[in-house]
Amino acid sequence: MANKGTGERLTRSEHELIDRDAVIEFEFEGRRVSAYQGDTVGSAVTAVGMDILSRSFKYHRPRGMLCAAGNCPNCLMTVDGIPNVRSCTMQVQPGMKVKRQNAWPSVDHDIGSLLDRMDRLLPVGFYYKAFHKPKFLWDIMRPIVRRIAGLGKIDISSDGGPRYSHRNMQADVAVIGGGPAGMAAALEAADAGLDVVLIDDQPALGGHLLSDTARYEGIEGVGDGTGQEIADSLRGRVVAQSGIRVLSGASAFGYYQDNLIAVRQGLESIQLRAGRVVMATGAFEVPFQFENNDRPGVMLASGALRMARLYRVPPGKRALVVTDNDGGYSSALNLIDAGLEIAALVDLRSDAGTSDVGDAVRKAGIEVLAGYRVVSASGKKRVSWVKVMAPDSSTRVLKCDLVCMAGVPQPANGLLLQQPGVEVEYDEQLRESVPARLPGTVFTAGDINGFHDLGIVFGQGVAAGRKAAGVADDGSSQLSALEGEYRNGLRLSGDSASGGSAKKEFVCLCEDVSTKDIGVAIREGFGDIQTLKRYTTSTMGPCQGKMCHKAFVEATAIHTGGTIAATGATTARPPAQGVPLGALAGPGHMPLKRTPLDAVHRAAGAEMVELGPWLRAHNYGSPQDEALTVRERVGIIDVSTLGKLDVRGADAGKLLDKVYTHRFSNLKEGRIRYGLLCGENGVIMDDGTVTRLSEDHYFVSTTTGNVDAIEDWFNWWLAGTGMDVFVTNVTSAYGAINVAGPRARETLSKLTDVDLSSDAFGYMRSFSGAVAGVPCIFLRIGFVGETGWELHFPSEYAEHLWKALMEAGAEYGIGPFGLEAQRILRLEKGHIIVSQDTDAATDPLDAGMRWAVRFDKPDFIGRAGLAANRKRESEEKLVGFVMRGDFVPEDGQPIVESGVPIGRVTSSRLSPTLKKGFGLGWVPEKLAEEGAEILIRSGDKDWPAVVATEPIYDPKGERLRN
Amino acid sequence: MAFLLNCPNCGQRNVYDFRFGGEVLTRPQPDVSNEDLTEYLFFRENADGPQREWWNHNMGCRKWFIAVRNTHTNEVIETAWSPELEWPPIQANDGGQADGE
Repeated sequence: MANKGTGERLTRSEHELIDRDAVIEFEFEGRRVSAYQGDTVGSAVTAVGMDILSRSFKYHRPRGMLCAAGNCPNCLMTVDGIPNVRSCTMQVQPGMKVKRQNAWPSVDHDIGSLLDRMDRLLPVGFYYKAFHKPKFLWDIMRPIVRRIAGLGKIDISSDGGPRYSHRNMQADVAVIGGGPAGMAAALEAADAGLDVVLIDDQPALGGHLLSDTARYEGIEGVGDGTGQEIADSLRGRVVAQSGIRVLSGASAFGYYQDNLIAVRQGLESIQLRAGRVVMATGAFEVPFQFENNDRPGVMLASGALRMARLYRVPPGKRALVVTDNDGGYSSALNLIDAGLEIAALVDLRSDAGTSDVGDAVRKAGIEVLAGYRVVSASGKKRVSWVKVMAPDSSTRVLKCDLVCMAGVPQPANGLLLQQPGVEVEYDEQLRESVPARLPGTVFTAGDINGFHDLGIVFGQGVAAGRKAAGVADDGSSQLSALEGEYRNGLRLSGDSASGGSAKKEFVCLCEDVSTKDIGVAIREGFGDIQTLKRYTTSTMGPCQGKMCHKAFVEATAIHTGGTIAATGATTARPPAQGVPLGALAGPGHMPLKRTPLDAVHRAAGAEMVELGPWLRAHNYGSPQDEALTVRERVGIIDVSTLGKLDVRGADAGKLLDKVYTHRFSNLKEGRIRYGLLCGENGVIMDDGTVTRLSEDHYFVSTTTGNVDAIEDWFNWWLAGTGMDVFVTNVTSAYGAINVAGPRARETLSKLTDVDLSSDAFGYMRSFSGAVAGVPCIFLRIGFVGETGWELHFPSEYAEHLWKALMEAGAEYGIGPFGLEAQRILRLEKGHIIVSQDTDAATDPLDAGMRWAVRFDKPDFIGRAGLAANRKRESEEKLVGFVMRGDFVPEDGQPIVESGVPIGRVTSSRLSPTLKKGFGLGWVPEKLAEEGAEILIRSGDKDWPAVVATEPIYDPKGERLRN
Repeated sequence: MAFLLNCPNCGQRNVYDFRFGGEVLTRPQPDVSNEDLTEYLFFRENADGPQREWWNHNMGCRKWFIAVRNTHTNEVIETAWSPELEWPPIQANDGGQADGE
């Protein structure tokens, strides 16, 4: 296809969506194609004469433009690497790269279309029955079937594609559907002072009026004019009403409980919570069933009109109109107005009666074939003639390049039905499933209710808007009269349009299911509509039943001999419209926390690492050197990320006794005790220190990242007890610095009046006082195993305090140490890190912390679980080990015996003091003895190590207590 | 799960703002038998209908409260602070009362 300019177009119209002054180019299968600004990919390629837009799922049949509204599967293409984009609604952007899919070597000449003649090999449900005997055949066929079937291919080399974002919205009233009913409802609700969001999936508000040139007069609240003029005037009023926020080109794909609406608009995914909802989603025309009803050139009348009116692309030259209601006559008149020749109008009804539109059509010289039915369409790549059958069974052939199907529409209720409490019932008179029961906050208006008359549609919109706004509706009786009149005037065919059983008359275009397939499946025993759906996969393709649900139910009813009401319906589930997984996933919104010393660490060249929600300094260049600084001189580390809970009240001790395994009600003021938190099953949840600051005031630390869960845990055990305790999370309010090492006392003494001598300030004691003028809580604890103080202070002072400590310690060789050095140092002391050295099954007894559990307390959380565990034999113990050679194992490597794993390393590092690999690991009980020999496997080599039950550094804690 | 939940402190909010705390259970005595402990730890009523459950307004006031929710329809029938919500088959509340302290 050479660049033919912007292709064939109809004369300019003031209602067209294209801008003829702006020509843009895009790439289509390697060739450049021109389009107007406002064109969709589908309209642009149709304008340059392309009939085949895609190949079908199973038989690779050629498929062309059908609905032109983003509902059917026929125009799915790959756009900029994203598969299965509906090209009929995707607006052309300059430079866009588009290709068709599911064909080889090309969509125009697809080898796969041979399958169309081999349909006997691929019966309905073939997945369950063909190619299974002999057994090996399926292994050969499965990859071939999977390759041939399916739609677009995901580009796995892509860099992730577009970046989607998420947004939350609230509204008093959400109106879904921007046609006349939706606009009327939005205007009424907004005029009543409510905050309204109007969601519409088309590029411009107006719904079907956008392509309607029929003239309307005397409709209350609507000025006289053509459909297009009325759309313009309503759109103008909506835009001028500041109480309405319009989301155009936005598809509402999910409708969840309590009126939560999931909307996708471009690269944004919106969650809209509305107080009231007006569903004005309209109705879809759907295909009739006849042989080759999927041939390019067979279109919905509304689709043909959209192409002609919105993009001024002629959908064909000579159209055959097929209808079963008066609406088809209006469509025929509209098509004539758009410049098309009408071959004839086939009215499927045997008794169409007379009507104004009927007279108008006959007056325009169009032959009406009443009581005829369509037998088949013919033409290799596009329809060229159609065979019709008269009531007397004589047949006629009509030449045409376009078939416009204008049947009784299928209500667009796929979204509405997702809401709990919504029920629809089949209305025998309207011949549609219409809302029967709605929750009190949900209202419907327009074509979705089964009425296809502008006056009624608009009136229902007004009424729904008023109801949603809680305004008394005085127009109801007038509207009921109009509705009654409409019902009486209906002359719908009693015969179904889908009576055939031909092989290639399709019910479900997405999955290539024919009326014959449905008959076969029912004979095979799948008579229930839900199982029939799953077996045939009807309604399960990209259109999600939009094009096929009505025909599927009708065909099922005919083959089972049941009524349409008794046949029921398939279940509507989100998404109502396809939505990219990326739009659902969106960006991560995990907030990253920085400590008050973040800038200091960066200035010192620290390598930062994410730990839970925090960014921490991992090291400042050499963890080994940093560890030695602490062992030999003095180091400081930012421990602001520690969880900190302020627990106060007369019953604070009682709460802590309940949640911790240890006892805290008897802790003296100014003393600190290590605490273990267990779940009810006795498994270790968290650990930390508990300091009693005063009689009814405790200061609790938790591990980094766990504090929110622990705060919840404390409050949960408080809820409803009436205990006098307040738990306040002060994690970010307090900064914390640990000063540790043999010269820590000298360093700190320069900055404080607090007596730090070992007699006055012993191990596990706490005082309050100022350091460099900053009010601090001093905790004398020793995670890293040296003399040291953890200082907690208002976080605003962190930089000042850090700087003061660095200056004071300069003469002693002070240095900062990071997370990695701290991990090495604590490991030398055998201090565990919960969830690194413990797992979801570790209790304090196995972890060697029996000393932290007070069974003499009458109760605590986990007591019953631990008591039960105490009775059974422990299988594994957590022990230390030191390597024999110079190998340093990695965290998680297996401990083996005769090549079989019997345990695992939980933490392992190079010890800066021993200059050897060492660590903690789980071993069987029998090996949990000092000096026991174990083997650690790395790759295919086993490395010997010796079990050490005591910490390898300062086992008696003399340096710690000094 | 998209329903609205009425926090007794903050009012109606998206359920995403809350943390689910599970069925309201009666905590056994510390000398409970192994069978009853197993029952308490691992078995749930999983009612198909109204159920009493804990919720925490995690992204709001961070308080725990009790909701009666119909698990079949997701309808939240009532919310209240523990132990104000009457519920004949289950004792008022576990936290700290059943443990004999």
